[in-house]
Amino acid sequence: MLRRKMLRDIKNNLSQFITIFLMVFIGILAYTGIESYMMGMQKTADKFYKENNLQDLNVIGANFTTNNLDDIKKINHVKDAERKLSITATTDNDKTLLANFIESNNISQFYIVKGEKFDVNKKGVWLDDFYAEENKLKIGDEITIKYDGYSFKEKIVGFINVPDHVYDVKDESELYPDHGEFGFAYLSANELASYIEQKAMDKLGVDKKTLEKMNFNYKDELVFNYVMVDVDKKKNTSSVKDDIEKNVENAKAIIKIEDSESYKQYQGEIDEGKTYIGVFSGLFIFIAMLSVITTMTRVVKNQRTQIGTLKALGFKDYKIFLHYMSYGFYISLMAAICGIIAGYYGIGNIFINLEMSFFEIPNGAPSLEIASFICAIAVIFAVILVSFLACRKQLNQTPAETLRKDFPKVKTASINLTTKKVFKKLKFSSKWNLRDMLRNKVRTITGIVGITGCCMLIVCAFGMLDSLNSFVKLQFRDLYNFDYKLNLKEDISKEDLESLKSKYGNSTSKSNLIEIKDSKGNKTTNNVFITDANDKVRFVDNKKNFIKLSQKDGVYITYKLAKNEGYKLGDTITWRLVGNDKYYKSKIIGFNKDPQNQNMTITRKYYEKLGNTYQPDSLYTNKNLKNTKEIKNVELIQDLASLEEGMSKMLSTMKTMIVLIIGIAIILGAVIIYNMGVLSYTEKQYQFATLKVLGFKDKQIRKIFIKQNNIIAVISIILGLPAGYYLTDWLFKTAIEESYDFGASISIMTYIYAIVGTFLVSYIVSRFLSRKINSIDMVTSLKGNE
Amino acid sequence: MKDFIEFKNVTKTYFIGDEKYNALDGISFKIPKGEFVVILGPSGAGKSTLLNLLGGMDQATSGNIIIDGENIEKYNANEMSEYRAENVGFIFQFYNILPTLTVLENVEIVKDIVKRPRSAKNILKDVGLEKHLTKFPNQLSGGEQQRVSIARAIAKNPKILLCDEPTGALDSKTGVEVLKLLKKCCDANNGENTVVIVTHNALIAEIADRVIRIKNGQIDSVVENKKPKNIDEVVW
Repeated sequence: MLRRKMLRDIKNNLSQFITIFLMVFIGILAYTGIESYMMGMQKTADKFYKENNLQDLNVIGANFTTNNLDDIKKINHVKDAERKLSITATTDNDKTLLANFIESNNISQFYIVKGEKFDVNKKGVWLDDFYAEENKLKIGDEITIKYDGYSFKEKIVGFINVPDHVYDVKDESELYPDHGEFGFAYLSANELASYIEQKAMDKLGVDKKTLEKMNFNYKDELVFNYVMVDVDKKKNTSSVKDDIEKNVENAKAIIKIEDSESYKQYQGEIDEGKTYIGVFSGLFIFIAMLSVITTMTRVVKNQRTQIGTLKALGFKDYKIFLHYMSYGFYISLMAAICGIIAGYYGIGNIFINLEMSFFEIPNGAPSLEIASFICAIAVIFAVILVSFLACRKQLNQTPAETLRKDFPKVKTASINLTTKKVFKKLKFSSKWNLRDMLRNKVRTITGIVGITGCCMLIVCAFGMLDSLNSFVKLQFRDLYNFDYKLNLKEDISKEDLESLKSKYGNSTSKSNLIEIKDSKGNKTTNNVFITDANDKVRFVDNKKNFIKLSQKDGVYITYKLAKNEGYKLGDTITWRLVGNDKYYKSKIIGFNKDPQNQNMTITRKYYEKLGNTYQPDSLYTNKNLKNTKEIKNVELIQDLASLEEGMSKMLSTMKTMIVLIIGIAIILGAVIIYNMGVLSYTEKQYQFATLKVLGFKDKQIRKIFIKQNNIIAVISIILGLPAGYYLTDWLFKTAIEESYDFGASISIMTYIYAIVGTFLVSYIVSRFLSRKINSIDMVTSLKGNE
Repeated sequence: MKDFIEFKNVTKTYFIGDEKYNALDGISFKIPKGEFVVILGPSGAGKSTLLNLLGGMDQATSGNIIIDGENIEKYNANEMSEYRAENVGFIFQFYNILPTLTVLENVEIVKDIVKRPRSAKNILKDVGLEKHLTKFPNQLSGGEQQRVSIARAIAKNPKILLCDEPTGALDSKTGVEVLKLLKKCCDANNGENTVVIVTHNALIAEIADRVIRIKNGQIDSVVENKKPKNIDEVVW
């Protein structure tokens, strides 16, 4: 019978129970959605890396011989090692391909999306699946890969994903992979035969027959600039790295896979998710709980006389407890189940699909974790606890007391303030609303927290876009003061370089891997930017003011690096160029802000003073190279406009997320205002009826009612705007990858959107609710109060 | 004296489920201006329904209610609000004063709806609450709260003061004080104010100019009291 009563009570208080349902649903939806997407990403990658044997170390050098390879294989704990030649090539339709020539494929194995398995004796090219799809290529199509004046005409034999190429960009200054313009390709090292023969013929000035007579074997001339190393156990990676460093002379740089761009970017995305899960679902669940507290308290309070009746009839307290706790239990159970399902299939799937269009990894799927169920159970328990506490208050009284109407208590002390000073001059409606808010603190706080959350999310959503736009401006317009960056070939001769400089200007730079050693002897790998770029590459301080690098001896490091490592101006930093054993002790003579890389910068003058020969790897120019497809001795022509365009693509992808966040913000704001509005209306119904009896018109009373939510909205906006700023700033500073350094930079328009948006949500819902005033029956309302 | 209030064959019907129930069943009576009227009757007789119709809080199912020559049954919601604001002062058994407004604010609130309100401070002085102006209702006794309610009602300068069991929640001593106040209100303004009290306390009838008895939704009797007693003469 009590169950029937429960169902009817729920039906009679449908809007309040819908609110509980929605709040619990949104909370669990957010948690499960982010958790399943984040863990889905982690598990998808773990599986891919494991099944396709991702290397543990990348050894980079100019040319690794078979002896070098054997030396590496002999090192303790090395399970396997494979060489590859990785070159940046172009195609006949001016796309860029990272072409890799391999001898075997046991490390970083292909995941064949379509086509044939790798075989070193097989001709043809295995192509990046995303690149192929974007360029509408089919198996069997022939493509031309151009490198160093030579064209490889290859038939496509397979579309692949490779664990080493989950995230691939053309150049480090590019932030977003453009799969249509840049991809990777794998070929058998045997495919290099004719290229090597051609080179030899050119070099020796002989024809093919003569070359054959000379017993020329292309295999002796094969060049490999990478060795991928598979270590037996993760914990041995560092010792293997040290051993390679000591024993393999050709090894210029040894990079742990965790420090490789592809791995780092993907992992960074997961870490970002970990921050989101805490912030967003925490916020939603907190607001959900506040909302449940107010709603359940109200529902149970409304049942006061019924509780008295049940007690008077002889129902035991525990039965009444169970009865009222079951309200919250069934509603939150249903909401939790729906939240888990929608979170997993909805948010989880949407986000993972979004990520999988960005990262090249097969079989991406969300993962439903036990944590989501624990979260759901915890929320259900919390709802039951709230129902229990609300019920206990009523059950502690005698049946006689409970059967009497509970008059709202006014704590004079808390509202006394509003009878003094400026408050005295306020209109009656303002005073009345302010005091009502002070009287119903939990309800008011819930409203303020909910609407603040709504405003904060709107600021955060638009603010993320603003901040990224500001980042793009700083990076691509302020720091980069050039139109084209030419990536020079490693083996460019002095004469060729001079010829390029005379044609395109003499702004150059060089980047080199370095190792920094701290006072305890700990070594970290980083990068030094050696500049001779004049004003083509500029530098800024923390306030984004341009700074000119001093020509004095010493190094500049980025603020974030200095902060992370505890460096101060004037400190000495010990470092060496990777591939050179000599350590330098340099004075830190300044700091610069770099939004994208946390590294060291030195002038060419200082670099040379340290005894090094300056051989630039990049040349910057403002010459118009729009129609230039190829330049001799230039590996890659980077167009700043296309880099910016790539970034804009990322921003447009972000818009989906922004729409989602704004949608959730609006639901959150609307649900909270509606819920609080219903509670406020129910509590004050008899007061509204009194005003009506006194002769107040419905319109006047509606204004009074809306005013309270307006006050709450104004307070929430005042809190929500800075909170939105700090949330955005915090997300950028902590959630994104370590190498970035940029915080929130939010435009006035975003704040205006947030103010107008929040106020509109609050006003529209309040106005909708205020229609109830018209139907107040004075007689019934006032009788009810008696 | 000229008739000020006239009920003409007024019926108020409620439906309880499918059952039809006439709270007022075709009642007719007249009240001249400036009288102190008591409506008597047992519980469920229809007294409060009558008061609610008279106060414009509810509308009759049929019949006409003429107040100062105007048929208020023809009023729309807005006109009814204006009628309540300008013509009627309500006093309830449980006061219905706003708990979050101070004594003074509870009375001053009428400034928002009435064109010519009386001075709230002067009225509160008249009802003996001048020392409690900044107190909140829960800091007052029942009698004091009822006095706030009376002050609020008369601050509107209404033509009719309608009181629903005004002493019902008070002890007899405080009840007498309240009745004296109501009588004073009736006598003020050159005897132009009409006071209608709904009660089941027959003793109050002794001080009334006119006593209307209701039974089962119909008028049982209307008695004009030629010599109403002074409140102090009544043994409570």
